[in-house]
Amino acid sequence: MAATVKFEDVEVGQEVISASKVVKREDVKAYADASGDQNPLHQDDNFARSVGFPGIIAHGMFSMAHLTKSITDWLGDPGALKRIKVQFRAPVFMDETLVAKGTVKSVDPETKTVTLSVSAEVDRAGETQWAIKNSEAIVELA
Amino acid sequence: MPLNYDLKGKEYNEVSFTVDRDHVIRFCEAIGEDNPVFRDPAAAKAAGYDEQIAPPTFITALQIQTSGQVVMDQELGLNYSMVVHGEQEYEYTRPLKVGETLRAMPRIADVYSRGPNEFLITEADVRDESGNIVCVARSTILSRGTAAQ
Repeated sequence: MAATVKFEDVEVGQEVISASKVVKREDVKAYADASGDQNPLHQDDNFARSVGFPGIIAHGMFSMAHLTKSITDWLGDPGALKRIKVQFRAPVFMDETLVAKGTVKSVDPETKTVTLSVSAEVDRAGETQWAIKNSEAIVELA
Repeated sequence: MPLNYDLKGKEYNEVSFTVDRDHVIRFCEAIGEDNPVFRDPAAAKAAGYDEQIAPPTFITALQIQTSGQVVMDQELGLNYSMVVHGEQEYEYTRPLKVGETLRAMPRIADVYSRGPNEFLITEADVRDESGNIVCVARSTILSRGTAAQ
């Protein structure tokens, strides 16, 4: 029950996480059922179009789940994630590739705690759209 | 129509939520989580946990129930079609364990306007059977263009 990443192996500015995932309609539907968030914006294209989107969008929490998974995959132990705070920005459409990223923002040698700047982005017609930006995670390394 | 700012500090009914093994597995499948500590008790034990654990964001399934009470509160006056999820924060003491029953009482931590928009901050301390806090969930809901002009 400890992270497999060693505190002395990371430094400020280092990119430690980059994990992509294609957002599939069936996964978003499965997420609606498993989380209990049945908002039609995430399931009904006609409804999504009626509020100005080209089709359904993924739950913000779906993107946060992918980002969080990327962090715990890197850590090696889910219990080493102490805090995560995200800000949701751009919507994510179906079949887009969501890329979760994490960079070391600060380190505390006393507690072996590291603050990561984290984000999730998609490339839409050559432009980066931030699904999650200005966000942080606090993790405890070995 | 603006939100009812007098509801700052209001507490809602406590929600009880059992971390169900099949539910955790369905959640893992939905998010593409294949770490065996979330799927297999033996793997969790080998990793040093006393039970199969749930992914950190599984807490969202509980939070949908707690925050549901707040957003549906007629006194608050939230127009659901004007709402977006602005921010989400989770602070963890330890991972959630399969089989445990958690309790959470949501409250309105803050409600305020900034420019044309309004912000609703809801918070819930998630406690285990011993009353210890396992996780604190805090979410910011943004109501677009509803502030008093």
